[in-house]
Amino acid sequence: MTYTKEEVLLEVEHVDLNYGERSILRDVNFTIRNIVRPGMSQGQVVSLLGRSGIGKTQLFRLLAGLQQPSSGSITIFGNKEVEAGDMGVVFQHYYLFEWKTIYQSLMMACRQNPALKGNEKDAIAKWATAFEVTDILHKYPQQLSGGQRQRASIMQQLLKGSAFLLFDEPFSGLDICVLDKVVDMLLQVSVSDELKTLVIVSHDIETSVAISDTVFILGKEEGQPGATVKQEIDLVERGLAWQKDVRREKAFADTLDEIKASL
Amino acid sequence: MKKLFQPFAIISKQTFLILVLSQLILALTLWHVTSDGLMPQPGKVVAALAHLSTTKTLIDNVLVSFLLTMKAMLYSIAITLVFAYLSVLPFFKGIAQFIVKCRYLTLAGLIFVFTLLTQNGSALKLWLLIFGIVPFFVTSFLSIIVHIPQQEYDLCKTLGYNRWRTLYEVIVIGKADKVLEILQHNFAISWLMITMVEGLSMSEGGIGALLIKYNKYNDLTNVLALQLLIFLLGLFFDYMLATIRSWLFPYTRSQKTT
Repeated sequence: MTYTKEEVLLEVEHVDLNYGERSILRDVNFTIRNIVRPGMSQGQVVSLLGRSGIGKTQLFRLLAGLQQPSSGSITIFGNKEVEAGDMGVVFQHYYLFEWKTIYQSLMMACRQNPALKGNEKDAIAKWATAFEVTDILHKYPQQLSGGQRQRASIMQQLLKGSAFLLFDEPFSGLDICVLDKVVDMLLQVSVSDELKTLVIVSHDIETSVAISDTVFILGKEEGQPGATVKQEIDLVERGLAWQKDVRREKAFADTLDEIKASL
Repeated sequence: MKKLFQPFAIISKQTFLILVLSQLILALTLWHVTSDGLMPQPGKVVAALAHLSTTKTLIDNVLVSFLLTMKAMLYSIAITLVFAYLSVLPFFKGIAQFIVKCRYLTLAGLIFVFTLLTQNGSALKLWLLIFGIVPFFVTSFLSIIVHIPQQEYDLCKTLGYNRWRTLYEVIVIGKADKVLEILQHNFAISWLMITMVEGLSMSEGGIGALLIKYNKYNDLTNVLALQLLIFLLGLFFDYMLATIRSWLFPYTRSQKTT
């Protein structure tokens, strides 16, 4: 498997988050680099794993620019400090404006994307076909099933055109059939552009590892307050990335055990 | 039968309708049976209403009250929206909260102040009504703003909207349906007040003035007929506002179609 890791796309340096005296995140550091595979547009899929209540959602909000860290920095493309609007964000439960039809919501996102200027309708039609949501475009979110809502929400953030897409617990509460579809959809998105970077914040270890190229484990260190990135696992190096039947491999099971042990 | 007295029991629409009709008939029968010489029987009240409906006096007076209510509602909504939208700006937050507290002021104690501030009886009625309604409207709308889920603001931020655009999308556009809901819920307040303010300047008439006139002569049959009319008109406006809301904002109809 030929690949190289090139320029830094996202860098989290010495990030702390405190609420008063309480430390939520402590000295969080990690880097996401552009993975280049000859002959294809290979994006990045990174998972941030941790136990419930460890501070994953807080880190998610910091990465999304929705909240400022108490100290430290989060930069994209080398030197740009991340701010709200830089990243596509897919919230848990796939939040959409209840008063807009799906088409109107998608159009809102398209209008924020200068690359689509003048071609908004075509872009919506193209992605709607790919995501099989053409027949629900003129419906309101409350008229959709959970799966349709999810696809519409992902599409909205895709049409906004950010290279980064953050997902907060995208696998929670999904049945096995829908889960497979979501996994396929995320993989489809990840290869849509060379720089496309998906950051998945989840506590579903198995599904996250199955679709990621890198895993960061968020946890607490002995005797230290606040959560930090305890371990980075390069799944490409272990030969566990970009494989459809990766779950059957022994190395996959071993990696899951390793992650569970360090959580 | 047992179900009717069980908490959270679900009954069919038909059963509910039969239940309401039976209760109505029971109430009317009780009213009919217990009425003595002073209290008119329901049949007489309905007959009086039917008679009043054919007179020009009633139609004219209802129209006067209706126009005054509409005018007051429109002004009140405009004032409410301005202060409610501005309440997200720290400078105006205190003013909006003060308006909310004005609910505790009684109109009766302010009549003289308003008489000094307004030019004629018509303006006095209008502004008293507005002053009576606005605090309740602002209270309802501020409560809606306070309870907007954080995710609505977050979604705007992730789409790269600035604060003003977020205010426009989430509060102005996103809560437009709530304006009609507030109107619907608080319409009863204005309808309640109109009978009071119309008594202050009776020369222009109005359903409140008519009610006071019949009360003065102890014409209880016509008083109750007017009360019945006020009640029915209230129900009609309630239904109309709900229908308009559902038509203007289809997403408020929550039933799933897929």
